[in-house]
Amino acid sequence: MDIRKNTGALKWTLIIGCSIFLFVFLILPLAYIVVTALRQGVQAYWNAITDEYALKAAWLTIVATLWAVVVNTIFGLCAAWALTKFAFRGKKLISTFIDLPVTVSPIIAGLIYVLTFGRQSWLFPILDKFGIQIIFATPGIVLATVFVTFPFISRELIPVLTAQGNDEEEAAALMGAKTFTIFRKVTLPHIKWALLYGVVLCTARAMGEFGAVSVLSGHLRGKTNTLPLYIELLYQGYDFTGAFGASSVLVILAIIILALRVWLEKRGNKELDISK
Amino acid sequence: MSSAENKVEENYVELRHINKRFGDFQASRDVNLGVKKGRLVALLGSSGSGKTTILRMIAGLETPDSGEILIDGKVVNDVPGSERGIGFVFQSYALFRYMTVYDNIAFGLRVKKTSKAEIDDRVHELLKLINCEGLEKRYPSQLSGGQRQRVAFARALAPRPQLLLLDEPFAAIDAKIRLELRSWLREMITNLHITSIFVTHDQDEAIEVADDIIVTDHGGIEQIGSARELYTNPKTPFVAQFIGNSIVVNDYARFQFFHDVGEGTKAILRPEFIAVFKKGENKQFLSSAEEGLVEDVIFRGDSLEIRVRIHGFVLSATRSINDPMIEIGETVDVFVYRLFVIKGDTIELHDNESLKKESVVI
Amino acid sequence: MIIRKTKSVIPGFGLSFGVTLAVLSLVVLIPLCSLVVFSAKLTFAEFWHVITRERVLSSYYVSIGTSLIASLVNAVFGLALAWLLVRYEFPGKKFIDGVIELPFALPTAVAGISLTHLTTTNGWVGKLFDSLFGIKIAYTPLGIIVALVFIGIPFVVRSVQPVLEKIDIQYEEAAMILGAKRGRIFWKVIFPEILPALISGFTLAFARSIGEYGSVVFISGNIPYETEIAPLMIMSKLQEFDYASATSIALVLLTLAFVILSVNAILQSVVSRRVSGLA
Repeated sequence: MDIRKNTGALKWTLIIGCSIFLFVFLILPLAYIVVTALRQGVQAYWNAITDEYALKAAWLTIVATLWAVVVNTIFGLCAAWALTKFAFRGKKLISTFIDLPVTVSPIIAGLIYVLTFGRQSWLFPILDKFGIQIIFATPGIVLATVFVTFPFISRELIPVLTAQGNDEEEAAALMGAKTFTIFRKVTLPHIKWALLYGVVLCTARAMGEFGAVSVLSGHLRGKTNTLPLYIELLYQGYDFTGAFGASSVLVILAIIILALRVWLEKRGNKELDISK
Repeated sequence: MSSAENKVEENYVELRHINKRFGDFQASRDVNLGVKKGRLVALLGSSGSGKTTILRMIAGLETPDSGEILIDGKVVNDVPGSERGIGFVFQSYALFRYMTVYDNIAFGLRVKKTSKAEIDDRVHELLKLINCEGLEKRYPSQLSGGQRQRVAFARALAPRPQLLLLDEPFAAIDAKIRLELRSWLREMITNLHITSIFVTHDQDEAIEVADDIIVTDHGGIEQIGSARELYTNPKTPFVAQFIGNSIVVNDYARFQFFHDVGEGTKAILRPEFIAVFKKGENKQFLSSAEEGLVEDVIFRGDSLEIRVRIHGFVLSATRSINDPMIEIGETVDVFVYRLFVIKGDTIELHDNESLKKESVVI
Repeated sequence: MIIRKTKSVIPGFGLSFGVTLAVLSLVVLIPLCSLVVFSAKLTFAEFWHVITRERVLSSYYVSIGTSLIASLVNAVFGLALAWLLVRYEFPGKKFIDGVIELPFALPTAVAGISLTHLTTTNGWVGKLFDSLFGIKIAYTPLGIIVALVFIGIPFVVRSVQPVLEKIDIQYEEAAMILGAKRGRIFWKVIFPEILPALISGFTLAFARSIGEYGSVVFISGNIPYETEIAPLMIMSKLQEFDYASATSIALVLLTLAFVILSVNAILQSVVSRRVSGLA
């Protein structure tokens, strides 16, 4: 492979240029968060992240994330199964709709739920009768989170399942195995890593969602604030230690997620190579 | 007679003591070869024999670890492939997918900054040559396999290279078209008088297309010669077995009239070395023929292949379909004219001793 | 929509398809329909009036303009980064590969406040630029561009990388033997191969940037006619309970995103037809 030179001026110019680019746009903001969070000392930092409202906000974030992961995993598995194991008309259409949430602005995502479940919708009187409040309350936040992370898991599973083919499942079915058995014993081992990868992506996005949740939350401290919303509140109140302190928690989580992602990808690729 | 014609013809391409390894694998082992100007030469060998490596080193796509590569008398080791004046046809053609046939063929000319008019002439000249007129606006994906191969050929020829290299040019083509393209390629290259080297693992191809064949095995050169030479005078056991049909027997001394010549008991037999006769059919070798049992009779279109079991070996012999039929299970007379005895790295041709005694006309 | 399926030996169609359709309807289809239904309530005159108001129009320009520039920047650097990661070996390569996805993992609001703080005239970077070049970043369109570049970094890189990895080296070898030098080989042989992926990544970054809220809303300062982005306009209308206006503005954005993605889809299919010969 003499033709692809791995040395020379171009190489180092690119490396240095890109490093500077990445440093300024990625590393610097990260570093800044940590520095500002600790500016007023470790004690102040600790107080900020163990603040009652902060913890409540964190809890709401976790709840919403968990719901999103669970719902989207179940959905993702069903959708991947339906779309890859069977042939039917309308596959492309359904596929497009599943991928749609990723392209929609988070604000618009929030808006459509407001229109569906809010005061002026036809559903509202029914919900009101049952005492169910969706928008400006936790259910709305959960729904918004589910929406913005909707295709993350199915999008990881579908390519893997498509590449793998249906032969093994068909063989199992012909031997009389039932749906869940086939799934558990035949399909699951192949999609293990893709599934985990999708879950990690879903979690990351869910925890960080801001715009959609902002629309649907009532911004009530301690009640309907997720952690990102809480950070916004603090920032606008000039409580920088608080805002950046809470942010640093999310930064640490982000780094863990990145590391997980890299590791999972490597594992996934190894499995792919072994099965070839 | 000019004095030029009396000079010994120099090699146009020459490799001297070339060695190349990839990691632990020795791809080329003290390779020495020469190709005369204007000749069409095949590099023949099985996968991993080193033939493609040799081709790629000549092209400048790989650099040898040691040794010299000469083109037209000059050492080109340090000359980059883009400046060696070579045309190269890849096994999978590597036609630029995003360019039309015209642009593909014109590529090498545009690099040389040839004028637009000249490029146009040359491209159309080549399109005519390869019988693809009218296809210039098409993209490679819109061509058949045979057309792609010919466009790849035209692209390589466009800048008028002095040397044409082809890497298994027919490997990716359907069997039917392959035969047509083979003769087409031979005709083209002969008409263009361009020195050409092509790599193949198919001996029929090498025999049909090339003037000379270079047989490679395990990184080394086994023998160089014309198809006929290689077939009738193989110098190594590998060449004897590789070219043509052959059977190896591991104790030829079992046959009468072939005495052990020492150093090894193995020998190679070709079908034409053996004659099979029905009992009583041939009187000439009555005393020197040996008995065998027919195991199989296979119809080969213009001849019959007879598989005979004799002295514990199963030999293949050819018989004309015009001769009386032989059945499976029949006891027949077998006469072995000659065989190649394997002596270490070389082989020797030994005739049946009874031939020296009897004055028979075969 | 009659769904006909060829009889499959694998079980579970009913369940999986049922769940898929149910969840899809609840989460995506019905809410989207509400949007359509609601906007149908508006007369075209009302709709037009809303979306052509000065302030709204300028919010579109701001959003589209800044997104375009940011996406172009990301296209250039994304290509450079993909090249780096695929073609070269150097220390720290794994680190760069991992760090690129940071904008996906980090919450937009966190990115927003951090970038804002960094680039105000008191921040580390903002101070530098102000004193050296007299350029202000935060609270100007430049700040918005910075934020959008941040969130768009992974799109082009991840789009181009796999394609670059799969390019058959024989194309480059063929070009080289025909006499081409590295520059020509790049522009004539390699670039056409990665252009579709480049466009795809650019489009995704562009569409995403137009709708971006969290990372931009802090750094923009939301100055009307200057740094007010369209999603913010929707947000403020919502806060005023002016659903009609919010919906109208949203519809324009959705249409825009749809157009962008359609153009990309068409381009991709044109290219793939050329390469696979079905034209």
